[in-house]
Amino acid sequence: MRLVIEVWRQDTPQGPGRYETHTVDDATPEMSILELLDRLNDQLVENGLEPVAFESDCREGICGACGVTVDGNPHGPQRNTPSCHQRLAGYADGQRIRLEPLRSAAFPVIRDLVVDRSAMDRIIAAGGHVAIDAGTAPDANSLLVPHESAERALDMAACIGCGACVAACPNGAAHLFVGSKLTHLSLLPTGRQERGKRARAMLSEMEQDFGPCSLYGECARVCPAHIPLTAIAAVNKEGLRSFFRQKDD
Amino acid sequence: MASSQTAAGHPSRAMGSALPGADDAALELGRVRDARVRRAPRVPSWVLKVVMALSGVVFALYVLVHMIGNLKVFTGADHFNEYAHWLRTVLQPFLPYEGLLWVVRVVLLVCLVAHVGAAGVLWSRGRASRGTHRHQGLGLRNFTARTMLVTGVVLLGFVVFHVLDLTTGTGGAASTSFRAATLDQAYAYENLIASFQRPVAAAFYLLAMIALFLHLAHGLWAAVSDLGATGRRLRAVGYAVAGVLALAVMLGNIIIPISVLTGLLS
Ligand code: HEM
Ligand code: FES
Repeated sequence: MRLVIEVWRQDTPQGPGRYETHTVDDATPEMSILELLDRLNDQLVENGLEPVAFESDCREGICGACGVTVDGNPHGPQRNTPSCHQRLAGYADGQRIRLEPLRSAAFPVIRDLVVDRSAMDRIIAAGGHVAIDAGTAPDANSLLVPHESAERALDMAACIGCGACVAACPNGAAHLFVGSKLTHLSLLPTGRQERGKRARAMLSEMEQDFGPCSLYGECARVCPAHIPLTAIAAVNKEGLRSFFRQKDD
Repeated sequence: MASSQTAAGHPSRAMGSALPGADDAALELGRVRDARVRRAPRVPSWVLKVVMALSGVVFALYVLVHMIGNLKVFTGADHFNEYAHWLRTVLQPFLPYEGLLWVVRVVLLVCLVAHVGAAGVLWSRGRASRGTHRHQGLGLRNFTARTMLVTGVVLLGFVVFHVLDLTTGTGGAASTSFRAATLDQAYAYENLIASFQRPVAAAFYLLAMIALFLHLAHGLWAAVSDLGATGRRLRAVGYAVAGVLALAVMLGNIIIPISVLTGLLS
């Protein structure tokens, strides 16, 4: 299968970037987007050209390192699937495919398809962790967590922090990401002790880089961890709660 | 990449960096820049969204009550005019003439300023955080969400016209036969019929009601989220109420100009 690839090239964070067109003649339907880039890079290197920079690590959908925008869709055209799992089966011989970085003012391009997602790290550093002395592991069954809470916390903890939700949002909002962390940590006994403090810290960090949520719902369509739109409501819920409670927990 | 900070003003260029122009010290930490998109805003966006939600819900309750009042037009001219007169004299002598109306007007005006002001700030923050590469190709997906600003501006235009037409009776907007309410009588019925007998006025009203439906259907659902509803059942109920209320307000209001134009009301 022959694919015509329009790929974003940008040498420096300052830009300017441009699209470059290349052709890969031996793409196969079972190839992933990243394998297509590997193939393209082999070709570029053979011809003495600079390969396209892009990020990946596990290539099995668990690390959150990958993420390119494919034909306008963060991660790719398949819903809720990371770039490393997006296959080319939907493309026909001779079709064009456009690859660009995850787009957001909060994610400056480092080079080509690699963006700087440290705005999300700053939110985690501000409060997306447990900062109390949790002591040693408690005896079994001494700290009971309702089954429902455990399930929900686990669902929300599935976020891999890839940043696709931000890139999918016309407002550049990070509510799905922040909401999943807030929900996950507020449901469990250790995390719960800093619930209010955490909400204030994470929201105030979030406000400096990310936009407001207008409930477009695009984030939940692309999220490879299937974080539901409910996470968005958790941002305001935790914000309101910490505002009226004015306590650390 | 050592000593990159010292090369006067152009840290990376001096050392033949792999990324000319980049801040090498920052890059070593995996960062391009430490600058934020904006400084911590005095009023955070999530608070502005709560303001939008609360003012929006006030509007929604108002248009619902207003629509129910409007439907009294089908109970006859006298009854409708009596209702309009009652609205002006209710709670007298505890409130002066038009006292309740003025309370409602002031509340609505405060909400309007807050709602429109917040909408503008949020819009510009959203654009700044998104950056220069806009999200394109959304198609009809989230049509109501994307048209909130457009439907909102239509509503703002309609509110101005509506007040000039049926409250103040200002020339240009109102029909030529407009009669203001007096201390002991209202002419709401005659004014309404005369206004809607002008096809352009009726058409604008129709357009505004469609805009109101779109704005409310998404707006009330957004308000459910913005007020922090995370429970599954609560969200399902909120979603349904948003749709039903938006539809009811639109249909209840639209039936009136249609009845006038078809001669059912005269
Ligand atoms: C008069 C001019 C108006 C403008 C310019 C306007 C604009 C907007 C905009 C842009 C939003 C979306 C904000 C966002 O999601 O970021 C919004 C939300 C909303 N609007 Fe309006 N609007 C207007 C009037 C109204 C009216 C008359 C009503 C009700 C009858 C209303 C009810 C709502 C509701 C319930 C929301 C949802 C609040 C939320 O996002 O939580 N608006 N409005
Ligand atoms: S490379 Fe790890 S999630 Fe895609």
